[in-house]
Amino acid sequence: MRSYLLIAPELVMLASALLAMFADVLPVRGRRVAAWIGAAGAAAALVIALAVGPGSVTLFGSMLRFDSLAVFARAATAGLTSVYLLWLAGNGASVGRTREATTLALLAAMGAMLMSGARDLVLLFLTMEAATMPAYVLIGFDRGDERGLEGALKYFLLSMVTSLVMLYGMAFLFGMSGTTSLDGLRVTAFGSLGLIAAVLTIVGLLAKLAAAPFHYWSPDAYAGAPAFSVAFVSSVPKIAGVVALVRVVGVLGPQVRGLTDVMLTVAVASMVIGNFAAFGQKDVRRLMAYSGVAHVGYLLLALAGGTEAGSIGAVLYAVAYAVPSMAIMFVVAEEGPTLDDMDGLLSRRPLAAWAMLVFLLSLVGVPPLAGFFGKLYMFSAALDAGLVWPVVLAFAFSAVSAGYYFGIVRSAFLGQRPRAVRVRSTRNRAADVAIAICLLATVLLGLLAGPMLSVLGYALR
Amino acid sequence: MSYLLTTIVFLPLAAAVICAMLPKDLAGAAKWVAATVMAFDVTLVGWLLATFDVRGGVQAVVDIPWVPQIAIRYHLGADGISLAMLALSALLGLIAVVASWKMDKSPGTYFVMLMLLQVGMNGVFVALDLVLFYVFWELVLVPMYFLIAMWGGERRSYASLKFFLYTLAGSVFMLVGIIALYLYSGPNNTFDIAELVRASAGGAFNGIQGWLFLAFFLGFAVKVPIWPLHTWLPDAHVEAPTAASVLLAGVLLKMGTYGFIRIALPILPVAAKAWAPWIAALAVISIVYGASVAFAQTDVKKLIAYSSVSHMGFVMLGIASGTAAGLDGAVAVMVSHGLVTGLLFLMVGMVYERTHTRQIAELSGLSSQVPAIGGILAFASFASLGLPGLSGFVGEFLSLLGSWQSTLVPHWMTVVAAVGVMLAAAYMLWMVQRVVLGEASEAVSRISDITAREVAYVLPLIGLTVLVGVYWNSLLRFVDPAVQGIVTILARVV
Repeated sequence: MRSYLLIAPELVMLASALLAMFADVLPVRGRRVAAWIGAAGAAAALVIALAVGPGSVTLFGSMLRFDSLAVFARAATAGLTSVYLLWLAGNGASVGRTREATTLALLAAMGAMLMSGARDLVLLFLTMEAATMPAYVLIGFDRGDERGLEGALKYFLLSMVTSLVMLYGMAFLFGMSGTTSLDGLRVTAFGSLGLIAAVLTIVGLLAKLAAAPFHYWSPDAYAGAPAFSVAFVSSVPKIAGVVALVRVVGVLGPQVRGLTDVMLTVAVASMVIGNFAAFGQKDVRRLMAYSGVAHVGYLLLALAGGTEAGSIGAVLYAVAYAVPSMAIMFVVAEEGPTLDDMDGLLSRRPLAAWAMLVFLLSLVGVPPLAGFFGKLYMFSAALDAGLVWPVVLAFAFSAVSAGYYFGIVRSAFLGQRPRAVRVRSTRNRAADVAIAICLLATVLLGLLAGPMLSVLGYALR
Repeated sequence: MSYLLTTIVFLPLAAAVICAMLPKDLAGAAKWVAATVMAFDVTLVGWLLATFDVRGGVQAVVDIPWVPQIAIRYHLGADGISLAMLALSALLGLIAVVASWKMDKSPGTYFVMLMLLQVGMNGVFVALDLVLFYVFWELVLVPMYFLIAMWGGERRSYASLKFFLYTLAGSVFMLVGIIALYLYSGPNNTFDIAELVRASAGGAFNGIQGWLFLAFFLGFAVKVPIWPLHTWLPDAHVEAPTAASVLLAGVLLKMGTYGFIRIALPILPVAAKAWAPWIAALAVISIVYGASVAFAQTDVKKLIAYSSVSHMGFVMLGIASGTAAGLDGAVAVMVSHGLVTGLLFLMVGMVYERTHTRQIAELSGLSSQVPAIGGILAFASFASLGLPGLSGFVGEFLSLLGSWQSTLVPHWMTVVAAVGVMLAAAYMLWMVQRVVLGEASEAVSRISDITAREVAYVLPLIGLTVLVGVYWNSLLRFVDPAVQGIVTILARVV
C-alpha cells in the first residue's frame, strides 16, 4: 500500500487525465474545463511530489526509486505540465479539441515522471514509450494538415526504430547480467560487447532527446506540428529523458570503456550540427528544433564528464532549457510560426516581447538567468573532468547561438512591417499568467539556485 | 558590512523598475525619475570619495555567500582604482540622463535601458567575486544593444548586433578562464579575487597561467578594444545615440582595461609579464593605427571613435609596462578619456541636433556662429590631444614614462607610441581647423548657441578635466596606493 502512496503524484496525473478526457459529461460545461482540470491536477501532483520528497525505498520489487534527482525531475515535469495546461486553458478556443490535448499531455507527463524514477530496464522502456506515444498524436494533432501528419509519421517511425534498437541493446544487457535491474547490471566481463550493448541501449534515449545524428525527425516534426504541441513535446519530456540517460550512463559508464567517448562524440556533433543548422531558419519552430539539438549537445557534454556534479548540472540545465523554450513556443503559438510573424511584437504586445527577450537571453546563457547558471554548473563539472576543448567549444557556440536567437529579437523589436489583419485573438488572462510564470522561473531558477543545488547534492569538489 | 556600495550599484535598478511601470501617458516623467536617482547616486559616490581613506585598501566591503555550494559570493568593495572608475561611471551616467532630456521616442523604455546599463557599469568596478563580476559585465550588453538598436542611426541593426556578438564572443572565453581559475584555486575552491591572488602567489596556477591569461585577454581585449579586435567600435559609436556613445566610450571601454588591472595582472602575474612585450606591441599598433585612420575620417563621430582606439592604446601600454608610473598613467588615461571623449561626443551631439549632420565637409565656422559650442569643442580637442595642464596629458605622460622605465617594453615601442601623441595633435587640430574655424557653412549658419541645460552638463566635465590636469594628485592620491599593491605582486615574480 505504501508503494502506491509514493507514486501518488503519478496517480493524480492519471486521474486528472481520465477526468479531463470525460470532461464533457461533467456538469460544468465549456471548452476550457478540461485544461483547467488538468492544470489543477498537475499542480496537485507537483505539491504531492514535493511533500512525499526523496526516499531510499525501492518500490515494486526493484522497479522504482525516487531519490532527490528523481523528485526534482518529477516535480519539474509536473510543474511545467501544469503551466502548460494553464496556458492551454487560456488559449482553448484557438487550439481546438482541448480535451484531447490535455489528456495526451497529462499521460505523457505521467510516463515521464515514472521514467525519472525508473530503476529497471523494463520499466525504463515502458515509461519511455508511455511518455512518447502521446507525443506522436500531439505532433499530428491537426488532422487536416499534411505536413503535420508527415512530421508525425517521421517522428513515429524513427522513434519506433530507435526504441527497437534500444530494446535490442537491453536484451544484451539482460543476457550479460542476468537481471533487468539497473543497479544489478554487470557487463565488465564482456569487453567490447558490453560497449555495443550500452551504445545500443542509449540510442533510444538519444533519439528521443534529438541528439545528433538521431535528430533528423525533430525539425520536420516541429515545423509540421502546431506550435502548442511543440511547446510541450520539445520541452517537458526531455527532463525525464536526461534523468534516464544519467541513470544508464551512471551504471554503465564506469563499467564500459569508451562509452564516455561515444557520449562526447555525440555531444560535439550535436553542438556543431544544431548551432550551424539553426542559422538562416525562417520558421521559429524549425529554429528551436535545431537549437534544441545544440542544447542536448551541451547536456551530453556534462554527462560525458562522468561526474556526479555533471549529472546534476545536466538535469538542472534540462529544466533551465525547458522553461524558456516552452514559453517561446507559447508566444509562437499565439503570434504565428515564422520570423515575419514576430515583426512588431514590441508595439503589439510589449510585455510578451520583453518576456521573449529574457527567454532567448537565458538560452544564450546570459547572466543572471537560469541558462547561465545551468551552463556554469554543467560546464564547470565538464571542465573539472578534463574536457577542456569541448567546453571551450561549447562556450564559443553559446556566443554563436546569440546570432540566430537575435534574429527573433530583431524581428520582435526592430521589425516595422505592419502585419496582415488576423483573426482577433481569443487568448485570455490565463495564457498571459502562464507566460509570466515561465518568466519568473527563468529569472529565479538562476538567482536562487543555491538551495536547489543543496537538495540535489551538487558538489564540484 | 556596509550597504553603501550595494545602494550605489542597485539604486539605478530601482529607477529602471519605476520607469518600466510608468503608464504610457506619464512616460515623460521617466527622465525625472532617472535624473533624481542618478543625482542621488552621484551624491553617494561623492560621500564615499570624501570619507575614503586613501591608504586604507579595499573599503565599504560587503561579503555574503550567494551560492555557497560552489563558493559564489556577493562580494563588493572599492579600492582607489575602483573608486575612480565608479565615480566616472556615476557622473557620466547622470550626464547621459540630462543629455537625453529631449528624448521623445519611447522615453520610458529608453530610460529603463539607461538605468539597467548603469547597474552593470557600477557593479563591474566594485565586484570582487569573479562570477559577480561576470554577471555585471554581461548585464551591460543587453541595454547597450537596445540603446543602439532602437534609438540609433541608419545602420543601427547591423552595428548593435555586431557590438553584441563581438563582446559576447570575447566574454565567453573569459568565463572559461573564470571557471578554470576556480577549479585550480586549491583545496578551498574560490571565485574571490583576493583569495585567487593569494592562491596564485602560492603557485596554484603555475604552468597554466599562459592559457588562463589568453582566456581573459580575449574577453578584455575585445572590450578595450585592442587592434585587431576593434572593428565593432566605430560602427557602434557612429550609430549610437549621443548618451550611449558617451557611456560606451566613457565607461564601457574602461571595463576591459579595468579587467586587466583588477584580474589579469594580480592573479596571473607570470603570464602578464611574459605577454607584456606582445601586449605593448598591440598597444602601439592601436595607438598609431587609430590615429592614422582618424585622419581619413569624414564623420566627426567616427574620428572620435578611432581616436578612442588610439587613446586606449596608451592605457594598454601603461598596463603592459607593469611599473607604478605606467599603471598610474593607465588609470589616469582611463579617467581622462572618459571625461574628454564624453565631452567630445556631447559636443558633437549638440552640433548634430542642430545641423543634422556630422560630416566634416558640411561643418565649418562653428566659432563664428556658435562661439560657446565651438569653443568647448576646441577645448575638448586640446584636452584629447594631450595639452599639458589638461587631464589628457597626465596619463599619456605617465604611461610613456612607465613604458620607458619598464624592462618589459622595448624602448623603441615607447618612441613609436610617442609619435602617436604627435599624430593625435595633428588630426585633432586639423579637425578643429576645419570644423571650428573658418567661415560658417550653410548647415551651421542658422543654428543657435548652447542652452543653460547643456552648459550644466558639460561644465562638470570641463571642471574635472582642468582639475586633474593642473592638480594631478587629486586623482593619483586615490589611484597610486592601489597601483603600488599590484606593482608589488608583479615584482615578486620573475
